Amino acid sequence: MKKFPKVAALATFLSAGVSVGALHAQTAEVLHWWTSGSEQAALGEIRAAFEAQGGKWVDTPIAGGGNARAAAVNRMLGGDPATVFQFSIGQQLRELADQGLLADVNAVADEENWDEKLPPLIVQAAKYDGDYIAAPINIHGENWMFYNTEALEKAGIEVPKSWPEFIDAAKKLEDADIVPIGLGGQPWQERILFNSVLLGVGGREFYAQLYSTLDDELLASDTMLKVFETFAALKPFVDEASPGRNWNEATNMVIRGDAAFQFMGDWAKGEIIAAGVEPGTTVGCAFAPAVDTAYIMTVDAFAFSAMDSDEARAAQQKMAQVMLEPDVQIAFNKKKGSIPALLDVSGDSFDACAQKAMAALQDKKTHLVSTGLFGVPSAVSGAIDDSISNFWNSADMSPQQGQEEFRQAISYAK
Amino acid sequence: MAEPAQGALKTSHDGRWRWRPQWTARMALIPAMTITIVCFYGFIIWTFVISLTRSRLLPVYKFTGFDQYVRLFANERWWTAMQNIAIHGFLFIGGCIVFGYLLAILIDRGVKAEGMFRTVFMLPLSMSFIVTGVIWQWVMNPGLGLQDAVRELGWTTFEFNWIVRQDRSIYTLAIAGIWQQVGLCMALFLAGLRNVDPNIWKASRVDGIPVWRVYLHVITPMMRTVFFTVFILMSAIVMKAYDLVVALTGGGPGFSSDLPAKFVVDHILNRQELGLGAAGAFVLLCTVIAVISPYIHFELRKARDGGGH
Repeated sequence: MKKFPKVAALATFLSAGVSVGALHAQTAEVLHWWTSGSEQAALGEIRAAFEAQGGKWVDTPIAGGGNARAAAVNRMLGGDPATVFQFSIGQQLRELADQGLLADVNAVADEENWDEKLPPLIVQAAKYDGDYIAAPINIHGENWMFYNTEALEKAGIEVPKSWPEFIDAAKKLEDADIVPIGLGGQPWQERILFNSVLLGVGGREFYAQLYSTLDDELLASDTMLKVFETFAALKPFVDEASPGRNWNEATNMVIRGDAAFQFMGDWAKGEIIAAGVEPGTTVGCAFAPAVDTAYIMTVDAFAFSAMDSDEARAAQQKMAQVMLEPDVQIAFNKKKGSIPALLDVSGDSFDACAQKAMAALQDKKTHLVSTGLFGVPSAVSGAIDDSISNFWNSADMSPQQGQEEFRQAISYAK
Repeated sequence: MAEPAQGALKTSHDGRWRWRPQWTARMALIPAMTITIVCFYGFIIWTFVISLTRSRLLPVYKFTGFDQYVRLFANERWWTAMQNIAIHGFLFIGGCIVFGYLLAILIDRGVKAEGMFRTVFMLPLSMSFIVTGVIWQWVMNPGLGLQDAVRELGWTTFEFNWIVRQDRSIYTLAIAGIWQQVGLCMALFLAGLRNVDPNIWKASRVDGIPVWRVYLHVITPMMRTVFFTVFILMSAIVMKAYDLVVALTGGGPGFSSDLPAKFVVDHILNRQELGLGAAGAFVLLCTVIAVISPYIHFELRKARDGGGH
């Protein structure tokens, strides 16, 4: 009898231990590369929502997408995976899934009906063998054209609607001593410009076919030649110091009015807001000139490591569910500068540029995705970057040569 | 010498077993040897094995023969990188040797405030290649660096835009590299010059030989081993040049200033082309061996044969 209190105390102690364990059940280590101010703030919205629902968030930020992806993969191979990790959707993620390193979030996706609510192309990209291997949490657009309204007024031009119009406008800007295109001369930025030209000259169907099939005939077609001719015609409209420039410096050229246009993804809005300008006012936004309306989407996504413990599985499901809750989507995307991945979320509280994009996406024909999401292996997209950048920076390559090199680069890398 | 070396233990005069000192030394070397064999030769072999596979993101051991090498040699960027390393190596090593030697001679002639000059020339060495790259990127940027500054002074046609020109960007690497490493070369040469027997100078003064001729025909041949050291040190820097090109030009414009090391890292880490990257690394290694080993062999044999002389 005398022993009883001790036993009871022990039992209480043990059960307390168990309940502490239950609290830990929703612990998720989140590995990501969002270290800049606006990115941190945006991710903070997800974190707050996750914690409000009883989850425990262990933050593992790693600066630089390449480093973070390498760390995520290395930890998986080393047997100590992060519960949830940021990754780009595409061929690499499929390779991880193929090796059985990923968990799916089908349960949440079925319940929340992702199949219907997400753009079909993104559903396709986020699935492997019918399983959702990632949660796409936003949509960034790559074919934006930001412009300085004062610079346009000074040169007496309207926002161009087609590439020939753009070239005429650029000449007037040059006469007014304004750099027509503020370009950061790094391969990926040159590719964004190229893709805008490709879409603008070839049209959305051509763009989709080209990148989804990488068909040799399309690559050698006259349309493609016209794309390269237009692209080449833009070379003189960039200032001399462009090569190597960072994208945000180019955005600041547009904000200051030193340059008139920048072709960049909508993450540039973050820089515009940081400079104290509301996007859509003195710095305007429009889709890059094109024969038809289209939106080149790219997404940020989180994937889930294959883990044995049920607790980790539960935390992963919870995370996937929180990330795509409409309220979280709105709060997160407003800070990130993107638009919600769910097409049925209300866009009333977003800025003018975001609303334009959300309106455009209601028509499914406008849906396009960046090269990676088409399932183009990173080897091929790397080769594409190389050949575009080489052509753009070469003083003496003809459009024919550029087209041929582009075709060859793709065929070697395939 | 004629003693048979059978084992670690041996009966000594008093009949007790004792360690032989040379075995203690060998034991002490085992960890270092193991690390060298595993991390160096082991990984070279592993790299070669991977280069024979179709590995992308992860190592996959499905062998495809020399496929990756065929793809590598069809890659224009690879050849640009190889050509660039030849140009860069020649200019950088040559520049470091010439300028380093000249600076050493000038200091050796007895300038005032020698210590200060030595420090000034050595200072860039304390910076990493990344910092060097960023500094020179600013200096050479036509929009905000040297070109802009000179133009603002009134010389409006002045041009120094190599860093943004595809046909010139590779030379900017050598400029920044030499700036950083010339101090080290100077110090090595200076140490060599200080070791020259003062009697040689006295003799040459008696003979009335002009100073430059003494340097050219007498001192320089005596400095052979220093040249060799500098050459090897600088070659190593050329071969592993990666951070400088990343910070200075990012390999651009286009891929005109790409180097093999950057090609390899890009393909392995950013493009999930593990196999192709490994093939590139292996070809780079073979090239290095082919270029450097005859020279090392020649120098070492010369040193051994001609011992005291």
